[in-house]
Amino acid sequence: MLKPLLLPAITPPRWVWVIDVVRLADIPEPERTVIADLACPVYADTSPVTPVAAALRHVAIVSTAGLIVRGERPMLANEAGYRAIAATVDDGDILCSHVSTNFDRTGFQQDLDVVLPRDRLRELEEEGSIGKAADTHYAFMGATSPVKLEDKARELGRSMLALGVNTVVLAPV
Amino acid sequence: MSGLAHYLEDEGLATVIVALVREHIVKMRPPRALWVPFELGRPFGTPGDGGLQRRVLQASLALLDKTLTAPHLEEFNEEAPIHDDSNWHFPGSLDNSGVLAEAASVMPIWRLARERIGRSTVGISGLPPQSAVEFIARFHDSEPMPNPQGMAPVSRARFAVDDIKAFYLEAAMAEGGQPSARQLHEWFWSGTLAGELLREFQQRARVSADKNLQLIAGSLVPAERTDWFLHGLKSPEQ
Repeated sequence: MLKPLLLPAITPPRWVWVIDVVRLADIPEPERTVIADLACPVYADTSPVTPVAAALRHVAIVSTAGLIVRGERPMLANEAGYRAIAATVDDGDILCSHVSTNFDRTGFQQDLDVVLPRDRLRELEEEGSIGKAADTHYAFMGATSPVKLEDKARELGRSMLALGVNTVVLAPV
Repeated sequence: MSGLAHYLEDEGLATVIVALVREHIVKMRPPRALWVPFELGRPFGTPGDGGLQRRVLQASLALLDKTLTAPHLEEFNEEAPIHDDSNWHFPGSLDNSGVLAEAASVMPIWRLARERIGRSTVGISGLPPQSAVEFIARFHDSEPMPNPQGMAPVSRARFAVDDIKAFYLEAAMAEGGQPSARQLHEWFWSGTLAGELLREFQQRARVSADKNLQLIAGSLVPAERTDWFLHGLKSPEQ
């Protein structure tokens, strides 16, 4: 069982000042350092899985934008679960329930692929750069302690393997 | 996100991260990461720029072709320029006689935006946009708007705030152009009654006796747009 070497309390600062959705490098001090120095668990290096050849890759995207399908209960702060977003779900039915006010949503509002590049992945499948774009993609709630996500992440990993997925693109916001 | 990479790799999946905060990758050492120099919230670059999005995705997947013996962090060497569109202006006129009237004046423009963009991200509260505005405007009234079943009032309020922001910001993009995120937020928070409403609501939530309302206060308004920040008031921590 993989465990973090250290388990510091992951307590996000209550007041992180980010000047309207800019790159981290553009954020003035001391706020930039507050974000950059956010307490993170420290993991032993994980032996990387040997990837399959590109043509055999069955790729899913996992976002931490707290994405949900319209009509579902929105995800809440520090929620450890994940949501499945089937390929058949229309772009217009994918909503963002992330708790943070500190990242830009106008990109997502204009173009889902800025956050969840389903169309781009399908293009790679069509041209043969990958074997298959997964039929389902997934979302967690960002800003949740990584340690708290472990059980659900492992559950999702096993579920994806059972569906034939062998490669995951992780996309935080 | 790096934690997820460790767990998923441990379960047997090959992973790559498209990362916006390099410092967190350096600390958490996931097996493979591509750092992108984009705005927070835009891991695949610029809306409408499928070419850039595709190059980011390809560059991330290319990390899987490398033979690794240690965690590998690579930089994506292409920028997504951030600049204001000097020609951009809100594509309509706002009725500033009151926040509900203002929201009503936004509605036809938002409908045009929805048609142009082909979708909308409004709806997470379960309330129509104008009802979301009314829900917040009347939240502290002696006769607040009835809360539909299925969501606690405080949660409904939090997501109604998200819907109000999405409603206005989507409307602002009804005629396209390339306004920067900064421009759009400046307009919303400084140029609309809805922005003022949300700041007032956040202030009341922050000092509310209702602990749940206090808890959501930090999720309503970007800190630099709060009254205490703009007017040099003491932060809640001081």
